[in-house]
Amino acid sequence: MPGPAQFWVDALPALLRGALLTLQVSALAIALAAAVGVGVAAARTAPLPPLRWLGAAYVEVFRNTPLLVQIFFVFFGLPRVGLRLSPFQSGLLALSLYTAAYNAEVFRAGLEAVPRGLREAAAALGLSGWQRFRHVVLPVAARISLPALGNNFVALVKNSSLVSAIGMVELTFVARDLEAWTFRSFEVYGMATLLYLALVLLLVWALRNVESRALAYLRVGER
Amino acid sequence: MRWTVVVANLPYLLEGLQGTVLLGLLVMALGTVLGFAVGLARLGRGLVYAAATAFVELFRDTPLIMQIFFIFFGLPAVGIRLNAFVAASVAMTFFAAANTAEIVRGAIQSLPRGQWEAARSLGLSSLQTLRWVILPQALRRTLPPLMGLFTTLLKDTSLAAIVNVFELTTAGRRVVERTLASFEIWLVVAALYFLLCYPLSVATQRLERRLVAEVP
Repeated sequence: MPGPAQFWVDALPALLRGALLTLQVSALAIALAAAVGVGVAAARTAPLPPLRWLGAAYVEVFRNTPLLVQIFFVFFGLPRVGLRLSPFQSGLLALSLYTAAYNAEVFRAGLEAVPRGLREAAAALGLSGWQRFRHVVLPVAARISLPALGNNFVALVKNSSLVSAIGMVELTFVARDLEAWTFRSFEVYGMATLLYLALVLLLVWALRNVESRALAYLRVGER
Repeated sequence: MRWTVVVANLPYLLEGLQGTVLLGLLVMALGTVLGFAVGLARLGRGLVYAAATAFVELFRDTPLIMQIFFIFFGLPAVGIRLNAFVAASVAMTFFAAANTAEIVRGAIQSLPRGQWEAARSLGLSSLQTLRWVILPQALRRTLPPLMGLFTTLLKDTSLAAIVNVFELTTAGRRVVERTLASFEIWLVVAALYFLLCYPLSVATQRLERRLVAEVP
């Protein structure tokens, strides 16, 4: 067994490579989940009842079943109906669809929290339906949604650890692999846990910056 | 598709469901008790506050699966050896407690400061104020988020499958390994989780609406 110093020299680069893949899959899933979430929120608030039911069904199904089972279904189940995805693709898809359900609820709450008077004022100024949405409702709703959306993103980074169960070589997988080779379970899992903590705190810090910029107009009175 | 496989293996899957419910109830009960203690500790000062805060941040900002691995695979290195069920329960209890603590703290801090000040002016001690004025009001506010957390915990019990604790996901995996009916079995497993979680979600939403309607 190599000495402690040599062990860290060997283990740290592997863990960091794993953390990089965690970061990559999380970043992609954050973008996808935001896009799908907007779509589902739009469906949930649509004037057509069947669209609303579809949106509601999507949210309830994905929020009331475990992500791990969704990942297994996509990776192991879908090939039986002819759709074969790699571990990375399966993980990305399941993570995005799962988080999109939570995002949709956040967006919907944001849309509903936009004061009626704003829409009416925009209509009174002669803005068209799309202009009202694009220039008045959306900017306000997005700002209202931001803090809760950030929580969903943090949860996503943590949830990306589940993708290790289908063999994507991200941080959790690397940690398990290292442990199997070196038996230094305490150090390896301790280190991987700290790396996740660092990733999450970094994201929280970044989100706080975005929030304070986006919500700067609220603090005008304080200056 | 081979749906007869599902019918033949349904009793086994239901056995797994029992394991899920058992693990879920255990973790909810222990996590709520510990979480209230930690949440109240976060209102304190000095070392108590620091320890409670470190506990909350550590267990809320890292993946549950890492916590399970650390307790199941990591702690034996320092002489603490737990079987998979106990290790998963302990990890999930800590995870639940950290999240409960934030709910409790949030509920208490959402009450107007005037409540504390009024109780103080009536001559109540801090502990009396907490017991007779703050907690009765705060408890009602913790209920909806706490039930939301229970739904999350029920879903998260599936992670115990990764260390081979017998519950629904483990049962599903074993049936798939035996029958190769991956599509059918995982769909049914998901449906069973849904039957468990959906009523809880609906009840949470109802309660939320009722409390919002009551609180001025």
